[in-house]
Amino acid sequence: MEENVTVSGSTSKNYSADGNEVLFFTIDDTIYGIEIKYVNEIIGIEQITIVPKIPDHIKGVINIRGKVVPVISLRKRFGIDEIPYDDRTCIIVLEFEDGNQVGIIVDRVREVVVVNPNDISRTPDAKNVNANHYIKSIVNLESGIRLLLDCDKLIKDD
Amino acid sequence: MAKFEAGMEAMADMYVFETTSLLEQLDQILMKTENESSFGEEEINEIFRTMHTIKGSSAMMGLENMSKLAHAIEDMFYIIREDHPVISSMESLYDLVFNASDLMKAEIELLQEDEYTPTDFTEQMNKIEDFVAVLKGGEAAPAANAAAPAQTAAAAPAAQPAAAPANSDPSQTMVRVFFEEDCKMENLRALLVINRISESCSKLEYSPADIESNSETAETIVKNGFDVTFIPKSGTSIDAVVDTIKTTPNVKNCNIISQTAAIGAAAAPADDDSTTVRVHFEDDCKMENLRALLVVNNVRDVCDNVSFEPADIETNSESAKYIVENGFTIRFKSDKPKMVLQVIESAPSVKSYEVIENTAAPQPAEAAAPAKPAETAAAPAAAASPAAAPAAKPAAKQEAKPAAAAKPASGGAKQSLISVNLNKLDTLLDLVGEIVITEAMVTSNPDLKGLRLDNFQKSARQLRKLNSELQDTVMSIRMVPLSGAFSKMTRIVRDMKVKLGKDVDLVFEGEETEVDKSIIDQLNDPLMHMVRNSMDHGIEDNVEDRIKAGKSPKGKLTLSAYNSSGEVIIVVADDGQGINPEKVLAKAEKNGILTKPASEYSEKEILNMIMLPGFSTNDQVTEYSGRGVGMDVVRKNIEKIGGTVSVESKFGQGTNFIIKIPLSLSIVDGMEVSVGDSIFTIPINSIRESFKVKPNQLVKDTNGKEMVMIRGECFPLIRLYDIYDLTPGMPDLYDGIVILVEADGKCACLFADELIGEQQVVVKPFSSLLNNYNVKQHGMSGCSILGDGSITIILDVSNIISDF
Repeated sequence: MEENVTVSGSTSKNYSADGNEVLFFTIDDTIYGIEIKYVNEIIGIEQITIVPKIPDHIKGVINIRGKVVPVISLRKRFGIDEIPYDDRTCIIVLEFEDGNQVGIIVDRVREVVVVNPNDISRTPDAKNVNANHYIKSIVNLESGIRLLLDCDKLIKDD
Repeated sequence: MAKFEAGMEAMADMYVFETTSLLEQLDQILMKTENESSFGEEEINEIFRTMHTIKGSSAMMGLENMSKLAHAIEDMFYIIREDHPVISSMESLYDLVFNASDLMKAEIELLQEDEYTPTDFTEQMNKIEDFVAVLKGGEAAPAANAAAPAQTAAAAPAAQPAAAPANSDPSQTMVRVFFEEDCKMENLRALLVINRISESCSKLEYSPADIESNSETAETIVKNGFDVTFIPKSGTSIDAVVDTIKTTPNVKNCNIISQTAAIGAAAAPADDDSTTVRVHFEDDCKMENLRALLVVNNVRDVCDNVSFEPADIETNSESAKYIVENGFTIRFKSDKPKMVLQVIESAPSVKSYEVIENTAAPQPAEAAAPAKPAETAAAPAAAASPAAAPAAKPAAKQEAKPAAAAKPASGGAKQSLISVNLNKLDTLLDLVGEIVITEAMVTSNPDLKGLRLDNFQKSARQLRKLNSELQDTVMSIRMVPLSGAFSKMTRIVRDMKVKLGKDVDLVFEGEETEVDKSIIDQLNDPLMHMVRNSMDHGIEDNVEDRIKAGKSPKGKLTLSAYNSSGEVIIVVADDGQGINPEKVLAKAEKNGILTKPASEYSEKEILNMIMLPGFSTNDQVTEYSGRGVGMDVVRKNIEKIGGTVSVESKFGQGTNFIIKIPLSLSIVDGMEVSVGDSIFTIPINSIRESFKVKPNQLVKDTNGKEMVMIRGECFPLIRLYDIYDLTPGMPDLYDGIVILVEADGKCACLFADELIGEQQVVVKPFSSLLNNYNVKQHGMSGCSILGDGSITIILDVSNIISDF
């Protein structure tokens, strides 16, 4: 399914003033988005060092150029069964305002899209949506409805 | 960060650093004088100067509120210094200054944040003003007396100033004084100027003349400035008088608008034994004018009659440029010139100085300098541009100097201390850490396996030796004595003594013990909490209780520090009432934090309960403690820097808080062990031995808990794969390796697959995401990156022993 939307240059990180670029990726056939201001880089899957005594969804830590960065499996986070990593599995390295870096493992990365603020709406108050907890808002694209993840909740909330 | 004007941001760091140390200095002086309960001349001067410098540099950074507050205090001490008023309430004076100092410190902290809005100090300023009013009230009479003669002196030749420049009197000088904007009551301030210089002048006239009686003259002064014409008494130089004027409160600047040719000569004879020194500052040290002011202040400490060039360093930031180009000339009179030179040399940022041979040579030359007569000539022309005068003066002087400067810089030695931005040190340390890793990467490179490389090994050893020396040196750079952190406590103890009405002696022991800078910074809060705690809960409320218990009525609080096997141990000890274990236990039971029957708790365990979150034995919440957060915060903070806290207490005799912190956080010698696919690092200093277990060494207790018998002693066996839920490579105890570890006096055997080898690792703290899950509590203190890029987890033996 090819999206009929504007795709910005993939390499140049074009921070538009209103920061409405969104990186989309898939987990288990669902497409999720993350605001690009959080995204530091996207890397292939790496050797993950296990850290004992931490919740299951944190897979461990990886070494990114001398920095030790924890990695979260979004599948585990959303309560979906994990699948073996393949060559499309990616780690999206997020960087937060306090300088903390966290990697999230996703099935595959799709594209960066400029989203019109008018197309973003708040989450409905539904309780039966599985991952509703981590959803920040809903984006209405021509190609369909997309879920925007709340990065802060992804790492902080339990 | 638009806190400062453009170009000033670079100086912000320097400003913060300097002001902070000045304020600390101020606190120390105050504390000292308070203990002695008297102000010496020396101390007043010191406070005065401190405030003066803060005022100057704050104004320079555009921090008006800071500058004004400093100014108010400066004014207050000016009155104290000059008029020696009877200070009715020393306490309120101290409170006032301490508060102001606190406010300024808080402001400096605020400054370092991204969002900064200046705090309004009006309230504090008003308090100071009130106090000053009281001070002045006490000395109102003498002030009036002093004013009288000045007035009579002025009465006769009044209205003369206009004619003054034409006056043929050879040594007459006319200066124009401007006051700071909005300082109000300029006429009375002018009167103050007159009072101050009246003693050192044989003739004194000023315009407007009716400043004392006519308040409207204030406006005239604002507009046109305040003109003073004077002849200095013999023995006083013109510069000295001008100087006095300049140091009068609220004087913004003072320009010499007319000076007769003979002046230079007139000033010279008085200066027979004076020495002129030209000081150069380090390149790019910025704010040269304020640095010059610092030099002047320092020199004033040791001798009188100091004058300097350019004279407007304090008010005119442009003078910095002049100083950079031409150096800063300072003239002083002292019978021990060598000592003064030393003072100059040791002032911060001074690069070099040269003595321009004293007296005879420079001064006649100066007097003869062509600019001088021109100046006099220009002056009568209504002194059109007062600013032109000072500008011309340095020029004239400068021409005269090079000839006299022939004498080479005598002992222009550099100072041996520099201040370095901590970030640079951090980067350096990181780099050294990387080098250590890389060295391991090279020397134990798998490509070299099985090769016989004698020369390579030799060089590698040499490299290792140098690297470890480099590392030691970098570490030692970062080491700072604890005395700084300790002396901050003096202040807290002092405040609490007053508020709680307890008499306590604060004693320091081993405050010269050094710790890593990053640790010191983290230590202030916990120390403060503990000291507060000891003051509030530890020391008895009633002196009678102390006497009854056979203790001296005066409480004693001891802060001591010493080194012990790679750790620094800090003890906060009080000789107060101690902790009642029963009360603690009862409270713990009430709060429901007990995890086993109350009778099973040892005294040590009970005491350490006070460091659990939300625990406070104090029934009442006081200003200082009792909310039950204090000791919890202490423990958290200390753990953050990799240390531990414990409590020892004898009920009725006192309490000791013992903090153990590592000397340095960043590099540890570790033994790497593998457990399945994971690699753990055990700090070498907690390893006692490692060995393979023989079947006859294994003992099991009734619960099936394994223990290992070594030389007749039994130690619990902790299987690392077991506690960390890992898949072991060698589940069989007799195949793997057992490491006997020790921490906090307790031992245990850790079971791992195999030893990989010894390596120095650079500790990287866990990200906050992981810290949320209490990984520290589970015995992991951090992680590190190995030579091959893989990550190892550093184990914290003491937590493993206590947790599992």
